[in-house]
Amino acid sequence: MSFHSTSSLAISLRVNPLSVRRSLAAMCVVLSLTAQPAKAGELREATSTLRDGRIGYVLTHRYYSLYETEGGKAECPQGFNDGPREQFKKLYPPGKKLSVIDAQLQWEGSQWHPSTSKYRLPFHEGQGRISFGLNLDGKVGAEDFLSPTGEPGIDNEFYRAIACIDSFRVGGSLYNFENTFLQQYPDSRLLIELTQVDDLVNDEEVIVTTYRGMNPLLSDASGKHYLPGGTQRVDLRWSKDYVFKLKGKIVDGVLTTDPIDWIMVPWAMTANVTAFQEFRGMRLKLKVTPERAEGLMAGFIDVQRWHHALNTNLSTHHMSYGRVSSPSVVAALARLADGYPDQTGRNTAISASVDLKMVQVYLVHPTSKADLISSNR
Amino acid sequence: MILASVVSQAGELPYFWQAPEATDREAFLAEPMPAAIQVVPTELEGPVFANAEGKTLYIWPLRGLRNGAVGDRRNTASTCEGTIYRETAGLMSPYPPGYLLPEADLRRPCEALWPPVLAATDAKPIGKWTLVPRANGLKQWAYDGFPVYTSDLDRTAGDVLGGRRYEERRGGSETGALRFAIGPLPDVPAELEVRSSNTGRMLVNRKGFTVYASKSDARGVSHCKAECLKTWAPVLAPQLAREHGEWSVLERSPGILQWVYRGQPLYIYLPEAGAESRGGQVTGNDEPGWYSVFTQRALPPPQPFTVHDVRMGQVLADANGKTVYLYHCNDDALDQQSCNHPSSPQAYRMAVCGNGDAVLCLEMFPYVTAAAGASSPSRLWSVMTIDEKTGRLAEVGQPGAIQVWAYRDRPVYTFGRDRPGGTDADAWGEFNGYRNGFKAFWLRDDYRANAFGP
Repeated sequence: MSFHSTSSLAISLRVNPLSVRRSLAAMCVVLSLTAQPAKAGELREATSTLRDGRIGYVLTHRYYSLYETEGGKAECPQGFNDGPREQFKKLYPPGKKLSVIDAQLQWEGSQWHPSTSKYRLPFHEGQGRISFGLNLDGKVGAEDFLSPTGEPGIDNEFYRAIACIDSFRVGGSLYNFENTFLQQYPDSRLLIELTQVDDLVNDEEVIVTTYRGMNPLLSDASGKHYLPGGTQRVDLRWSKDYVFKLKGKIVDGVLTTDPIDWIMVPWAMTANVTAFQEFRGMRLKLKVTPERAEGLMAGFIDVQRWHHALNTNLSTHHMSYGRVSSPSVVAALARLADGYPDQTGRNTAISASVDLKMVQVYLVHPTSKADLISSNR
Repeated sequence: MILASVVSQAGELPYFWQAPEATDREAFLAEPMPAAIQVVPTELEGPVFANAEGKTLYIWPLRGLRNGAVGDRRNTASTCEGTIYRETAGLMSPYPPGYLLPEADLRRPCEALWPPVLAATDAKPIGKWTLVPRANGLKQWAYDGFPVYTSDLDRTAGDVLGGRRYEERRGGSETGALRFAIGPLPDVPAELEVRSSNTGRMLVNRKGFTVYASKSDARGVSHCKAECLKTWAPVLAPQLAREHGEWSVLERSPGILQWVYRGQPLYIYLPEAGAESRGGQVTGNDEPGWYSVFTQRALPPPQPFTVHDVRMGQVLADANGKTVYLYHCNDDALDQQSCNHPSSPQAYRMAVCGNGDAVLCLEMFPYVTAAAGASSPSRLWSVMTIDEKTGRLAEVGQPGAIQVWAYRDRPVYTFGRDRPGGTDADAWGEFNGYRNGFKAFWLRDDYRANAFGP
């Protein structure tokens, strides 16, 4: 169903003050959307990618939403956190004869079983009141952030946990590494399909379905830029667990979905791993065009699942690149978790926001025959 | 949530395994060998070289690890000798060298675990077999330039417990410097290769694309024409193709030859064979009547085991549908001893499965227990008696001893937190589960290369 709006809406995604100095920051954009009065019929005419009320997109870039100032002076006044190498050196200073069991295996044991860890190491949480993200609970609380454009009530405690870990910041090793693997291998090939779309600018009710695809991304000749117009086969042989439906609406070209209570998102990296994330109360806010969809995926990340994904995706060696200490960051997540308490009252999930960049693709759904074969084998 | 799980008895899926009565064995190219060396068939790795007693031969090729390389260099003397290393070498980032190894007092030298294959004093090089000197003045056989060993884990002819079959691309630095079994080249046309999967020796083309055959074809006759050829591409043979042994050709049209193996015309599945395909996928098996072609496959695992759909393919699972895991471990000494066997130090496994707590370990990674009197048609599987608290080999009837299933002489596990269809312990441990950790028992992986092992 479509409607027309003459109001204007501005959403701020990621503003990066380092954009001049660090080239990757160029990926971060401010989307200012103004009203674009248009008749639905005309738009459909011009938008061949919207067919039969459907349009698909594939994920090409994914970054945790991080508000950064130069050198982290505002959000990390005490500096950035130590990683495994630095912490290990402090815990086990050189010069003292130690055993594998008392040093290396102690560290690994703590990493995989944080509840049994005896390490108590200092950790710097992000400071300040400004963060990207969305108001997840509809309230404005004392702990909430202001968006860079002044919107109150932003929920993003995850930002506090990772803001001062170099690896997640623009140009950090995980900032790049996650995307390298996401682009290179299909096991995190997140697809969304919008259906029941009459108008890609204003439509009061659309359906968003998530899938996983199996095909490579379509890139330009340089291999660095991803293009709309590719094809992705929807995998329902192995990826049924990743199929979810969200209700949404499009206002002035911005798709906003209702929160979904629970969703799994493929999140694998490195060699032959199978990690995923679990979000509670996840919703999308994406600027959609016939070529691209860009914006936020926000909700509450399950802490135990995030820890599991971190450890299985990355060895201690990989985490050392960008100074990610698994025991420290997981302790911070548990401390800062602000949603979905368990029976003991302990929060199991933490508010968070992720920047997504997607390009349009044509989705090829499996035929009913193929699906039947799959389910019988 | 939509679950994508299918449970079936492993023995009902011949695609992965060959029937116990099947006699398929990989043919190989004969090559000149020393008189004391022979070729013996094995269940998983195909034909391998063995010494006169039938013990499988291995090499230890130099492997670049994170902080340096270790292993044998081509055409040089062995580095696996009599030194007993008591400290780590610091080859695996981020841990520094110089830490005392577990159970250092019980540690054996490399040459005791990997006895060199010695040559007679008057032995002469032959074919790819050459001689390298050992420190004690004796001569050691080398194959393709690499010094050759046996493994003290192997007991009878056909055992390949010291490592998987050598392939140039096999493994990575995550695993540590592994030892590999060696064997003669498979007898396949130049257009094809054999790749070792976790269940057998699979035919692929030179680009790594899986080779298939169709049940619709007759012996030496292709019925794949017209519409079929839009999906399946014949594996073409050159005009000079030589028919021999299990290999023949059929002429599809004048001058167009197709390879035929054991009477089966061979094909590539075009959806897998795009320029950007990763290779090693086996999605063509989902097309009715089509199947991947192996030179030989392992026999099915014992009856309690099942096959389960997971989010990238299929894994071996226990009777309850819980994913089965294998434990991998190599230490950080200069001789890179493996630590994944019950006879090796258990401190590594205990650290990642329970931070040193044996009870937590059993809760997180319980053994797959075997019923009394259980046996396996496949020699890759056995029943082992384990002290569940220490993880060491035990005697039957000993307090705390349990009977567990072992694959290639190592116990297998499930993961306490897994639901059926879950693989949460895949990549659990150091270096994504390859170095001191757990990997799921992958049978099929359409997204990555898990089914081809480390």
